[in-house]
Amino acid sequence: MSEYILEMEHISKTFPGVKALDNVELKVQKGEVHALIGENGAGKSTLIKVLAGIHGADEGGKYLFEGEKADIQEPMDATLKGMSIIYQDLSLFPNLSVAENIYIGRDSKKKPWTKINWKSMKKLANKALAELDMDIDLNKKVELLSIAQQQMIEIARALAFDSKLIVMDEPTSSLSSGEVEKLYNVIDKLKERGISVIFISHKLKELFRVSDRFTVLRDGQYVGTYDVNEIDEQGLIKKMVGREVVYETNKEKAETGEKLFEISSFSKEGNFKDIDLTLHRGEILAITGLVGSGRTELAQSIFGITKNVQGEMWLKGEELKISSSEDAVKKGIAYVPEARQTQGLVLEQSVINNMTLPIIDTLRNKLKLIDRNVEKNLTDQYIKSLDVRPAIPELTADKLSGGNQQKVVIGKWLSAQPKLLIIDEPTNGIDIGAKTEIHKLLRRMVNEGIGVIMISSELPEVLSVSDRILVMSRGRIAGEMNTVDADQEEIMKLALDNEGIESGNDTKTPNGTHHQEV
Amino acid sequence: MKLLLKQKEFSVLAIILIITVILSFVSPVFLTVQNWLDIIEGNTVIGILAIGMTLIIITSDIDVSVAALTTAVTVSIGYLFQFLPDNWSSVVLIFLIAPLIGMLLGAFNGLLVSRIKIPAIVVTLGTLNIFSGLVLYITNGNYINSTNFPDSFLAFSNIEMAGIPILIYLFALVAFGTWFILKYTLIGRSVLAIGGNAQSSVRVGINFEKVKMFVFSYMGFLGGIAAIAQTSYTSAIDPNGLAGMELTVIAAVVLGGANIHGGRGSIPGTLLGVLLLAIMQNGMILARIDVFWQNVVTGAIIVIAVSYDEINHRRNQEKLSNIDVKEAS
Repeated sequence: MSEYILEMEHISKTFPGVKALDNVELKVQKGEVHALIGENGAGKSTLIKVLAGIHGADEGGKYLFEGEKADIQEPMDATLKGMSIIYQDLSLFPNLSVAENIYIGRDSKKKPWTKINWKSMKKLANKALAELDMDIDLNKKVELLSIAQQQMIEIARALAFDSKLIVMDEPTSSLSSGEVEKLYNVIDKLKERGISVIFISHKLKELFRVSDRFTVLRDGQYVGTYDVNEIDEQGLIKKMVGREVVYETNKEKAETGEKLFEISSFSKEGNFKDIDLTLHRGEILAITGLVGSGRTELAQSIFGITKNVQGEMWLKGEELKISSSEDAVKKGIAYVPEARQTQGLVLEQSVINNMTLPIIDTLRNKLKLIDRNVEKNLTDQYIKSLDVRPAIPELTADKLSGGNQQKVVIGKWLSAQPKLLIIDEPTNGIDIGAKTEIHKLLRRMVNEGIGVIMISSELPEVLSVSDRILVMSRGRIAGEMNTVDADQEEIMKLALDNEGIESGNDTKTPNGTHHQEV
Repeated sequence: MKLLLKQKEFSVLAIILIITVILSFVSPVFLTVQNWLDIIEGNTVIGILAIGMTLIIITSDIDVSVAALTTAVTVSIGYLFQFLPDNWSSVVLIFLIAPLIGMLLGAFNGLLVSRIKIPAIVVTLGTLNIFSGLVLYITNGNYINSTNFPDSFLAFSNIEMAGIPILIYLFALVAFGTWFILKYTLIGRSVLAIGGNAQSSVRVGINFEKVKMFVFSYMGFLGGIAAIAQTSYTSAIDPNGLAGMELTVIAAVVLGGANIHGGRGSIPGTLLGVLLLAIMQNGMILARIDVFWQNVVTGAIIVIAVSYDEINHRRNQEKLSNIDVKEAS
């Protein structure tokens, strides 16, 4: 009998156009806590989805559970075999009671008219909760519980299924520190009972507290598996970011002019706090950080999508009061969201209609009707200057490739002649050739006098495109640097929870250091 | 007690009590047993349909074809009556056939929603027109009166037990049965689960398509029973008699605490919603308030109830999306 409860080897997963996993390995021993780590987009979630049966892996991989080939067609198969996955967003039913939530899924292969036995359901739920030393009213609806309690309900569900392997995806991201400690105790308890845990988290400090071994993924590839005793935080960060350099780091110090845009003490409860930021003429400012660090929320606040934000903004020395995205557009701010297909484009409409959308008011003739000729000429001009291919203005946007769609979105905002462009994950899901074109385009815009703030979690992109970098972590600015002096490890260290880093040996960037005026 | 106060059913109950007190001053007839039995019997059809609609709304869908579907079944009943013998077997047969026809029509809706994945509002708008178009074609828009009805069916309609009309028993049976399904069967649990969190329900192995198929078929099944109730209550078949009733049905369900976003809704809540609409209508008639004002008041109550619900829903969503911002050190 093998010492491993889970053995996954040579696992690959190809989505159309992207290889999300490339020959990845994950082996978990019985009764260990195994941390799975990597940057955003390293392939952790995809690997878990393969494990859970949500995605099928490509042919040729090896996937054993308890030494036997795991034939998993759908999520329930994995659960019935003894694997429970606790997703970050939890799989609970807010409108059902605690007991029902713990019990649900057990009968999923039975006939629809099977009668539910509330007594045995409550008994089972009670037993599972008792094992976790939890005292919760079984009849209480789950929506009335705190996040920490809800998480415990998920763990109780896993216990009720006699799970031998429990996967926890970012379990501590919404817990207070006291609750986190309780969770660790529960994990210790699970370990004593011989249950294995796969723990996904960005907080290195807590990983060292709970984990026995680490598996590191990077860009969909397997980096290695390390024992907790043979590696330290510095070492792990190196493994996470230590990729071959695809782009050159931007070594030129930009000729920066006067202040173009400035925000001070920006705060939004539950999103971010005390953000100061300055953008100079001719410079690309990158904001990076993990997903959930508040980057996108910040951008949406500047653009007026998020309301009730405290703080002040200036554009070209003029104080801005923005209460809606309409205001923002009028004042010369443009925002290209991350989800370009759903938020940036009207996919079913032509390139013309998309490009001129923000300025349609100004394209009207004497009769107050839209002047189709002016519209067409303007679109032709942008198609040419942005090199949108195919160069057919009448084509609907959904027929274009990701890169060309992004060019249309950018063109759309250029037509409004903005003074400031905020662009969120500009090259997400775009092939490498088109990426470079988009990067060049951003540089050209800056040279023409438009300020660009680029939000990106792709470190190579941040390093090669920007002039200055702000790193956000948990709703605050964790550090700032000129791109010339920056390197990936340093950024990663700031982006990961810096409480964790501070306790390490390296305290180059003390906790709470705020951005200072350059 | 605090929990009870928070329940939406409670606020509906409170409104009912207040209106009852007011109306009992306005009209001495209002607070009599006979008036209440009349109110309930007169709303049996709406009530049965609202019970079926509750399940559909819990799964965050909607069915606007219910009135047309029910009418289609009443017309079928009218035609069947020509061939049925004049004894009690006819009543039994009608209780077998009508729900079956309704169920088939409902299953047609369910199939389009779950397999072809057309939004339910579009599907049922389409079938609404198909059903009512066919009904008008077949009947020429004419009444079918009770001359062809088996005497046994007319006798059935007049049955009273302990002074309570048979239709109220039928209504109660449907309500109890559906409540039981929701609370004690796997399929009922699945209905609630899909409405509560569709993604999670797939993760725990619930068959989404089957559940959608079930709620629409069950709606049709209850449409068949409502058709019997309607035929029995009016002793005639009116091809236009139920036109527009789907809106009252949906209004009752929403008033009863069901959330259009899915997940929330209960049979007791829906019963209260039906009762609230019914006594308001009854009370305003007794108080001799203009019919037009009745519609205005009913509409206003619905808009207020749904707005309240929507605001609450959004507030909860916002709370969930917050980030744990690090405190300054």
